Amino acid sequence: MSRELLVVTGLTVRRAAHGEVVLPATDLRLGSGEVVAVTGASGSGKSSLLHALLDTLPTGLYRAAGTVRWRGQPVLQGRSARRWRRARCGYVGQDPALALNPLWSVERLVGEQFTGSRMDRGRQVREVLDLLGLPDELARRRGSDLSGGQAQRVALARALATQPDVLLLDEPTSALDESTRRRVVEAVRARRDGCTLLVTHDPYLVSALADRVVDLTSPLAGTTPGVRRPVAPTSTTGGFVATGRTSAAVRPADPGPADQPPDAGAGSGDRTLRLAVRGLRVTRPDGAPLVENVHLDLTSGSWIAVIGPSGSGKTSLLHAIVGRRPAGHGQLLLGGRPLPADVRQRDRDQRRAVQLVGQHPAGELNPAHRVGNAVARPLAVLHGLGRRDRTGAALRLLDAVGLAAELARRRPRALSGGQRQRVALARALAAQPDVLLLDEPTSALDPASAGTVLDLLERLRADGLAILSVTHDPAVAARADQVLHLRDHQLVAADANGSPTDTDNRMEESGAR
Amino acid sequence: MTRIRWGTVAPVAAVTVVGLALLGRRLAPHDPEQPLAVPWSAPSGRLPLGADALGRDVLSRVVAGGANLLGVALAAAAAALMIGVALGLLAGWWPTRAGRVVHWLGDLLLAVPALILALVLAVALPGAAAVVVASVLSGAPLTARVVAAQCGTVRDSGYLHAAVERGEGGPAVVVRELLPALSGLVAADAGLRLITALQLATMLAVLGFGPQPPDADWALMLSENLPGAALNPAALLAPAVLLALCALLFAAAARAAGRRLEGVA
Repeated sequence: MSRELLVVTGLTVRRAAHGEVVLPATDLRLGSGEVVAVTGASGSGKSSLLHALLDTLPTGLYRAAGTVRWRGQPVLQGRSARRWRRARCGYVGQDPALALNPLWSVERLVGEQFTGSRMDRGRQVREVLDLLGLPDELARRRGSDLSGGQAQRVALARALATQPDVLLLDEPTSALDESTRRRVVEAVRARRDGCTLLVTHDPYLVSALADRVVDLTSPLAGTTPGVRRPVAPTSTTGGFVATGRTSAAVRPADPGPADQPPDAGAGSGDRTLRLAVRGLRVTRPDGAPLVENVHLDLTSGSWIAVIGPSGSGKTSLLHAIVGRRPAGHGQLLLGGRPLPADVRQRDRDQRRAVQLVGQHPAGELNPAHRVGNAVARPLAVLHGLGRRDRTGAALRLLDAVGLAAELARRRPRALSGGQRQRVALARALAAQPDVLLLDEPTSALDPASAGTVLDLLERLRADGLAILSVTHDPAVAARADQVLHLRDHQLVAADANGSPTDTDNRMEESGAR
Repeated sequence: MTRIRWGTVAPVAAVTVVGLALLGRRLAPHDPEQPLAVPWSAPSGRLPLGADALGRDVLSRVVAGGANLLGVALAAAAAALMIGVALGLLAGWWPTRAGRVVHWLGDLLLAVPALILALVLAVALPGAAAVVVASVLSGAPLTARVVAAQCGTVRDSGYLHAAVERGEGGPAVVVRELLPALSGLVAADAGLRLITALQLATMLAVLGFGPQPPDADWALMLSENLPGAALNPAALLAPAVLLALCALLFAAAARAAGRRLEGVA
């Protein structure tokens, strides 16, 4: 048996305002060389556990009980915890893109702790980047100029660079594809001594790395139980907004069973073309090409998944379609009519028709707005619902994505990453779009919550919603009826299980569709 | 555990002090302008804070003397804040056109020292109006600059994009999304504006540009009671302590309000 390094007993976190328990008393033991994985439903206090351990709980939460011991010595809250975490700990948070200084170069971000000459630092930084599959040229880029997956790996590189005794990782692979995830696993395995605490929803990561698993699933206030729960048919689709309005935007409720095979529901009914993308060219802000010549046909009820290495331009493609960052070349057609490239030139119905759910749960919600109001807002703007109607509809939408009604009165700061992600989805659905663009829709979700969300999308799709999702999650790709791989600036068809490795050379010439 | 919740105590205390000060005269135990004792009498049972240069009750004068000063400071701070926030949002949301004009105007105003500006205005305008105008001219550019800078970081957030993409118009985005997201900053800045306005009003009054004797006024009391500081220190300390207390409470209350608005507390 290995030496025990870190012993946590009875660690409890409460909310300062109402004393509500965020993390029930939790024990942990980490031995030298051990990797312990923490799993549990979204909102079960996984991130709070890491923060409590490090004594970095955000304002509004406090450690109500419990002790942390390092090599037998207690780590007291305050100054000694600060010294301990500076000397011993490496931490990668859930939203690394927000944690990296946007003005620093990657070399400086990763190499901040290196002592020695500039040349040495550059070499060591490149070694760490290489270990995680990041190209050398990335070292010169700024923190603000990284894709979600790149930022995540740079944050990990930054933590690994100091060779910490304790490595704490909060969802370190949520934005990474299969092959990059393997590199992360190898990088963590290569740590000779010290211990690692890993918060993740990713079963692959757990099985590949974890010596032991701690499951925090105890149903807490405001969290759905960690059981996969089918949503009642009445609370879905048209039911959200069926409050006496007979607008064309309100789709009839579909009582169809949720456990149909993915393609069966989508294949039936009319397959009108919702959104056509013709020859779109997506570039980086500096003009470097990211994706060339994109052709997509999003028919009603279709689900296209785009996979591809991190930094290949998947998010930029979605931003171009929604009009956030207009593409230089190419055409968008919405229901056969041209759709302006810039969202500011689209009319209200065109804006309603295309909705995007973004990648970073922390940045998607206005910190000042209560969740219920955020979800209700599109119903007021786009569908003219009165206050009472839209409050009820917002609660039904939150319920449909698996969030309890009492969360509606909270502000985003009091939600977990997975809960925020689902609120952002509920808000996009409130607009009742024809085309839903999803950027890593399940990156912060545990398998059960992800299942709820994917089942919901499946049912909406049976009612005619077209979905384009960018994902690394095989569970999401498995639901799609077409998987496209983005590589070498081209969208190419991938085979059914989403791995393009054998076919892509062949398909490269034909382009997508 | 029983922790003192400064987040609740500070705003309540600030509002109480301002409320009492504005009620002022009606709460005073004696007529603040009537000589009641020998000049510079030390504190006694009848006059808890003693008497001033003319033998008037210091306690009554302190109770009555905040209304004017705080009223002027509040009005000046509110004007500076509202104008500053409006200009800041304008500059932050349309950084190229409106932004350039706002920054240029701000630079111009900030180039003039605030104290000199206030003195010049005090010669031309009544004291209260001078405080308001000087506070707007020197404070609003600072507020505008901070707000505009913070707009820059919020502009590119997912929720602002989402608002545009669901069809909110420009004013709705600015008022419903941008302003609430900046509310914490605005509240903190409100505290700052209030304190500087209070200092400005005090300074002009001490220099004789505000209320005139025999009015009861904290700032005026500072200059009137300075010569007798050795005989009755309470006459000098009471208004000074109250001015400092108000500044502290305003700062703490603004901080607490900011945290509340940002959803931290």
